[in-house]
Amino acid sequence: MNHLQKSSDEFGSRIGLIFAAIGAAIGTGNIWRFPRMVGANGGGTFLIPWLFFLFIWSIPLVIAEFAIGKRARTGTVGAFRIFVGRKFAWMGLWTAWISTAIGFYYAVVAGWCVKYFTLGATNGLANVDTVEVWNAFLTDPGQVILFQFIVIAITIMAIWKGAKAIESVNIWMMCSLFVMLFTTLALALWMDFSDGSLDGATFMFSIQWDLLAEPETWINGLSQSAWSCSAGMGMAITYAVYMRKDEDTVLNAATMGLANNSISIIAGLAVLSAIFAASPDPLAVVTGGSSAITFLALPEVFAQAPGGAGGRWVMMTAFFLGLSFAALTSMISTVELCVRNFVDHGIERNKAVAFTATAIFLLGLPSTFVWIKMDAEGVAFPAFLEVQDHIWGYGLMFSGLFIAFSIWKYGYIKWCGMVEAGEIEGGIPSFIKHGMSGFRDDFINTGDNDLWVPRAWDFIMYFAFPILFTVLIVSYFGDLISSFDPWYTAFNPSDPHGAGIILLFWGVVAALFIGFNDYVLTRRPVYLGEGHWITGLFDRGNWEMRDAPLFRNVPEGAEVSIDALPGGEDPQIVEVGEVPEGWDDVYGEVMDAELA
Amino acid sequence: MRNAKAILLTLLLFNSLALTGSIGMTTQDDPPEGLAPEDIWSLDYANHFYPWGGNEKIQFKEFHDYFTMRDRMMQLAEQNDNIMSFHEGLNGGTNARGEETTADTYKGWHYSHPSPWMKITGGGEELEGVYGGECNDFVGDCGNYENIPDIQLVGNHHAREWMSYEVPMMFLETIAYYYGTAGIDNDGDGLIDEDTWGDSDGDGQLDDDGDCLSLDPSFQDSNGDGELCGPGDLGVDEDFPEQQITDLVNTREIYLIPMLNVDGNRYDREVFCPEPAWESCPSGGWRKNLRNNGPEPLPDLTQNIDEDCDGVDLNRNYQFEWGWPLGATIPLIPGTCTPAEDERAGISNNDVYTGPFDTSDNDGDGLINEDNVDGEDDDNDGKVDEDWAGGNSEPETRFIQDLTEMNDDDGDGASDYKATLTWHSYSELVLYPWGHCTGCETPDHAELIYHGNKMAEMTTYENMQSSDLYPTTGDYCDWHYGVHDSYCYTIEIGTAFHQRPEDIDHIAVRNLGIPFYMVQISDNPRERAQIGIQEIDKSQWLISSENLSIPSDGWVPITMCIAPDFPFTNDQNHTHVMWRTVKPTRQQSDFGPKEWIEADWEMTGFEETQNNCTLKDNNNTGTTIVANLPVPDDFSGKLHYKSMLGTRSGTFPFSYPEPAGTYEEISIAYRAPYGNTFMALLLFFIVATAVWGGLGIALKIMVDSGKDEPQLGKKEAQG
Repeated sequence: MNHLQKSSDEFGSRIGLIFAAIGAAIGTGNIWRFPRMVGANGGGTFLIPWLFFLFIWSIPLVIAEFAIGKRARTGTVGAFRIFVGRKFAWMGLWTAWISTAIGFYYAVVAGWCVKYFTLGATNGLANVDTVEVWNAFLTDPGQVILFQFIVIAITIMAIWKGAKAIESVNIWMMCSLFVMLFTTLALALWMDFSDGSLDGATFMFSIQWDLLAEPETWINGLSQSAWSCSAGMGMAITYAVYMRKDEDTVLNAATMGLANNSISIIAGLAVLSAIFAASPDPLAVVTGGSSAITFLALPEVFAQAPGGAGGRWVMMTAFFLGLSFAALTSMISTVELCVRNFVDHGIERNKAVAFTATAIFLLGLPSTFVWIKMDAEGVAFPAFLEVQDHIWGYGLMFSGLFIAFSIWKYGYIKWCGMVEAGEIEGGIPSFIKHGMSGFRDDFINTGDNDLWVPRAWDFIMYFAFPILFTVLIVSYFGDLISSFDPWYTAFNPSDPHGAGIILLFWGVVAALFIGFNDYVLTRRPVYLGEGHWITGLFDRGNWEMRDAPLFRNVPEGAEVSIDALPGGEDPQIVEVGEVPEGWDDVYGEVMDAELA
Repeated sequence: MRNAKAILLTLLLFNSLALTGSIGMTTQDDPPEGLAPEDIWSLDYANHFYPWGGNEKIQFKEFHDYFTMRDRMMQLAEQNDNIMSFHEGLNGGTNARGEETTADTYKGWHYSHPSPWMKITGGGEELEGVYGGECNDFVGDCGNYENIPDIQLVGNHHAREWMSYEVPMMFLETIAYYYGTAGIDNDGDGLIDEDTWGDSDGDGQLDDDGDCLSLDPSFQDSNGDGELCGPGDLGVDEDFPEQQITDLVNTREIYLIPMLNVDGNRYDREVFCPEPAWESCPSGGWRKNLRNNGPEPLPDLTQNIDEDCDGVDLNRNYQFEWGWPLGATIPLIPGTCTPAEDERAGISNNDVYTGPFDTSDNDGDGLINEDNVDGEDDDNDGKVDEDWAGGNSEPETRFIQDLTEMNDDDGDGASDYKATLTWHSYSELVLYPWGHCTGCETPDHAELIYHGNKMAEMTTYENMQSSDLYPTTGDYCDWHYGVHDSYCYTIEIGTAFHQRPEDIDHIAVRNLGIPFYMVQISDNPRERAQIGIQEIDKSQWLISSENLSIPSDGWVPITMCIAPDFPFTNDQNHTHVMWRTVKPTRQQSDFGPKEWIEADWEMTGFEETQNNCTLKDNNNTGTTIVANLPVPDDFSGKLHYKSMLGTRSGTFPFSYPEPAGTYEEISIAYRAPYGNTFMALLLFFIVATAVWGGLGIALKIMVDSGKDEPQLGKKEAQG
């Protein structure tokens, strides 16, 4: 029996890749977090840093991800093994883990959205106390788990068959999302204009200059841009694996980023207009937590939709269906990111999907029922889920840093090669002149791109990125620590809201992954003994460490040479359809055992 | 508990298959019909765990001894060096009556320890701290401020009265833990500051929030004193406003001397009443200090204590009316030795030995003891109390006297301690002067009763004049009141000299409100009593959040109704509104409850208006004063406000709303315009061009380049 995939898997059309990437980027963050950030950061004031960082942070980083994925043609673990070297495969595992760990509770949250769609569609949100509905739902684990399960089931169906299915599901859901959002927007503007003015829109596009001068506004703009686009998640690396040959990474990245922000604006306008139309103190509503806005405030607001019961039904159904689609397409990319890494290492796709989906379901379960608490205003909230969000949310920053690191490293080794060959001189000015452009020259401006990426990208990656990374991390932990009194109690790891618990979990996971590097990621234990491997598990003589193969998903005819990269000399890295040295049937079983 | 939760969290994150749904729930065997403590409060609170942690002594489950108490004081001073400084005895120098002293003057006769004490102050509204302000070379402390009232709190005059230093330690721990905090839910019932000391709502129940009263009756007497939901029981006066503690520490200088009689206490603990003292001598023990009354002359540190003779009763060794009247609780013949057996049986008056007669000519006029300390010029020489008959002969009482007379921040020669307190055991009493005469009253009799009643209410102790218990001579309070015009109270704590260890904490909790009350009134106890007796302050009101309407733009006016005869000052430092804004954080947690940030408190002064208003309670007409708070129009969130009034004679603060430390809260909506339509359109076009225009261009390029591309045949994926 041979588990190997015989040939490459790719998207059917360019627009398919775009839609898949947009589907991944657009999530609940666009629809509930963006309006909240606009409300909390001075309306139009917020749009300026948010747009600025789209071009300074998100699009450049996504370009890098697409370029890495397009060349490596593997998921995150393989991409780092190829681009940074076999000692650094764990960075890819970190990237995959952050995305997957967020996926554990994201499936639960997506389930809430689907539940609210069903409630909206059955008029279950009309003329009710929305707090009661929410509390009743959240405190009923059966319901929450049911919808979590539904989300995971839909996700499995979408990715089971690979790229083509992902593509068509994303195209269908994204197009529906646009229709739903525009419907909501039209109704919301109608509501807001019923008094003769568009308060919500006016607020959303008015600048408060004093707030624009505050660093906090810029930091919030940066963080919204960083999270909303999924830049650094490894998602673009994953979908680039299915990119057809000769595709333009730059245009894809720009389209994805701009589409993401377009949807944010539409959603923001719809949500703010509706709230400003219906609420006496709209800013108090819009500055609450995300789930509070979405599941408590908006149903109340939508109940006042124009057009009576019909308008109300349309508004609620359209909004929550759109929200569900946004969540589902992001969920699909999360699971695919994880699955891709298994497939790269020779696991059958259906096994990988089954395993990943089961793990996400089981590890998401605690978020459905553990520590469901009441806040001071009598609203239920999932404290366990919140703590997980607290722990893993900022891990994304390090994923982004690792991607930047791979770019720095490539530029450096290429430059060193040129210096050794005597082509150029050494020294920092020489590096800035000749070395920094290495990655861009070789992997971005390849000739496939319609948009040429200028030298500014090098400066963003080498200088702006580390500065912004530091600003975000320092301001986040600084705020967190200073909110504790005395400050050092923030480092008590038993406080689920402190900094200590974040560092503890990050440390444990990073240490574990670095430890895995040579035993799971780039090498594999092979059983040489008699009988089933489990019978000889503890006899060292039965086991031998061999290099682990890595299968690249290379479309026919694509030029994806990795010879110049750190992973280029690894004989175990082969293209799909090739059989690396030492590969045999035993491997499948051993690998399964390792995963289980 | 927190550690247990963390372990559980770790387990769940890594191994979520463990379906433990019972976190936070409690079970009990054979449930009573009503509520159990765990049903209402946090487990920590219900189990008498104090939030500052520490060992059994720090948790008030065992008695401190001198050494552990001193260590803990030093530790707290180190951890809270903005508000606490640790001291022992005094540096000495030339004292108020021209005597030369040194640090050795204040060390105990036998073990040579100076009394440890703590100086506590936040250093005024500017928070200059305990090391700011003026430094006093004689006393050895800094943080002395002319305009900040001082208070002296003294424990353990009498060696065997162990609770009399545990109560001050509880007071100290409470300040150290809660200073600078606000809004803490002490008992974990989800409410904040809902039950402060005393009967603040005036319904006759100390349990203002009714949580103790809601318990099953079998849990209502958690301290076992027979009184259901009385002071010291769980749920009674358990959630005081931390802000009040902070305010008090900031606006007072507190001199806390938990153990005055270190010599005697060590002797009682180590020699006279060995552990367990609560079984061997619950109602006996060593009372005095360790003065050597013979036969060897002092110093005689190597000699064993002569229990039949040695020691002076420190609370009979102050100078006011020392030795008077004969027949009070003093030895019939000073210096007489009585066998120890009779001592323990309480037969002899040797236990209240006042110390030796003073045979020196204190004023150098050739006469001896011609003008004893009684506030009168007995010899008509124009000088008062200049040649005393005795008293102040002991290191410990000299320490108190010199501290009182040398801590003169304003340099006016009068004592800065307008209020003083001393803790004793036992009998559950609050005592006020006089002690030296029976059937007599002080000029402040009504005022002293007023404050005494307040403290008696908090503890359900009995308030009475000291001499009605028994007449004394030369005690602490007669001296402070008689010589220094200080409102002085003696608290007789508890039911035994050596209480059982399991009773320490709830007796301390029962007595915790008293020192805070004394600290509060120490600015001007006489005026506070007079205002309190007339209840003027109770009739005044600060506008409540329900009655406050926020104007559609501009300042937010906060009004107060002031009684015409209330002597308030216009000084903005003492009469003002304290307010702060509370905004949602800009980075909310996506899934958790709404998070808020509190700005610092700000101060805005009042202006008088011509408007009349109706006072509470008596329907009399008052004057409206108003403070206009500069809350910006574009603020959206909550406003917290409270007012503080000072009087012209310096009493500060009278706080509104009641109880002190609480505040009103009102939500304020965004009041500024949302923006300018034209500018909004402009920005909309810029953003739309950048985002949608950019997207359009990108799509166009994509479509154009797609035309050139050859169509690829689809590949079938296998596997």
